[in-house]
Amino acid sequence: MTFLAHTGRYFALLGKVFSRPERLRMYTAKLFTEIESLGVNSVGLVMILSSFIGAIITLQLSYNLVNPLIPRYLVGLANRDTLILEFSCTIMAMIMTGKIGSNIASELGTMRVTEQIDSLEIMGVNSACYLIMPKITAVIFVFPFLYILSVFCGLVGGLIVGPAMGAISAADYLGGIRYLFVPRFVYLSAFKSLFFGFLVSSVPAYFGYYVEGGAFEVGAASTRAVINTNILVLVLDLILTQILF
Amino acid sequence: MVRVENLYKSFDGKTVLNNITAEFSQGQTNLIIGKSGSGKTVLLKSIVGLHEVDSGRIFYGERDFTGMSSRERKLLRREIGMVFQGGALFDSLTVAENVRFPLDMFTTQTATEKQKRIDFCLDRVNIARDVQRLSPAEISGGMQKRVAIARAIVLNPPYLFCDEPNSGLDPETAKVIDTLIYGITTEFNITTIVNTHDMNSVMEIGDKILFISEGQVEWTGNKTEILYAGNRKLQEFVFANHQYRQLRDDKRSGI
Repeated sequence: MTFLAHTGRYFALLGKVFSRPERLRMYTAKLFTEIESLGVNSVGLVMILSSFIGAIITLQLSYNLVNPLIPRYLVGLANRDTLILEFSCTIMAMIMTGKIGSNIASELGTMRVTEQIDSLEIMGVNSACYLIMPKITAVIFVFPFLYILSVFCGLVGGLIVGPAMGAISAADYLGGIRYLFVPRFVYLSAFKSLFFGFLVSSVPAYFGYYVEGGAFEVGAASTRAVINTNILVLVLDLILTQILF
Repeated sequence: MVRVENLYKSFDGKTVLNNITAEFSQGQTNLIIGKSGSGKTVLLKSIVGLHEVDSGRIFYGERDFTGMSSRERKLLRREIGMVFQGGALFDSLTVAENVRFPLDMFTTQTATEKQKRIDFCLDRVNIARDVQRLSPAEISGGMQKRVAIARAIVLNPPYLFCDEPNSGLDPETAKVIDTLIYGITTEFNITTIVNTHDMNSVMEIGDKILFISEGQVEWTGNKTEILYAGNRKLQEFVFANHQYRQLRDDKRSGI
């Protein structure tokens, strides 16, 4: 299929996804299940990755910014801005694509090849709406929270490891993360994460929903979903950064 | 009653259904038989609308399914129960939740009423109460098929479709499934269409049989007539198993 054909089918699928649910109560129940499965279950991964990245950025900056003209507190400032502006929204979205995106693609793909999606259609249920809408809504809902959590953990990671390794004093670090702080950047990045949440859930859902074949094709679709979502996240990041900042 | 007229369907230029016309009667088990790759599953899935036909018409009673809007089709599909080849039970739900799903989605029954209906349907397919809380992965293939039948009949559908309900089952379990489908069909007076290549099923429950080969209807009849049919392709299909050649010869010689 050509790129245009995929794009057309993706938007046609979104049309089916965002249509009127048959029984709202069933969709609401599914939404909470998805928030737990896709969001709450990602908290641990976000905390671990962000803490380590925050710590590593702090160490790298401390060891490499050795010019006496550069104040030490800039290490904290650079770590903060890296986390707020890019890592916690964009890079974390790409990492979440590997977890959430591949999960969505393989789950829907398996449901397709085992005829569970056909089974829903035969019952008269809009399978795209029932299966995909709660996932997209759940991921969009949790992404800003994961973003805030990621920023917090990254900063704490730097605060713990930097002074512990003797790379920077806690006072310099804390001074740096407070210096020239622009709250607007946090709001805008949280806003960006909403768009990334939409991509991270809807693109893999598209690849999973239209799988044809068996286990091999489900695996291949999952891989394609992750690659394409990551590229789209970066493209969208470029566009949003240009527009918003 | 379900009627199809002049159905054509092709995939990538290859014709799979070629001018299929047939009628499936109410209160009878209507079998679509044929070799693997003959177009049985495509025909069944076309009748329920999972495949769009290239041309031709499909009638549920007097209602023209092919001329319906997607909304009208969705409404009609609530009158259809379908048992898929692999059962197609939802992995994330338990046995009871699988059967309850259509009730939750389409009825306003109370929890007690729903549970009564679930118990009735699962009892009807001989699934013990303690199995209700298990997940589909924890039960055997035969049980999965029976749960799929229970789910298919939970809304009292007037139409039941079964795609290879016996595939992958041992002969004894297959007979149980056949008997169940036959029993449900006569008991609830529904139009049942079963897709199979299992000759045991044909001889067990074949009230009305449609034999298709290479996408075309080759023969129609019933389980008594099938042994004496003159169609060469049908004979090759039926007598691939020597047991049925013997059965025919025995009947002819009055044994």
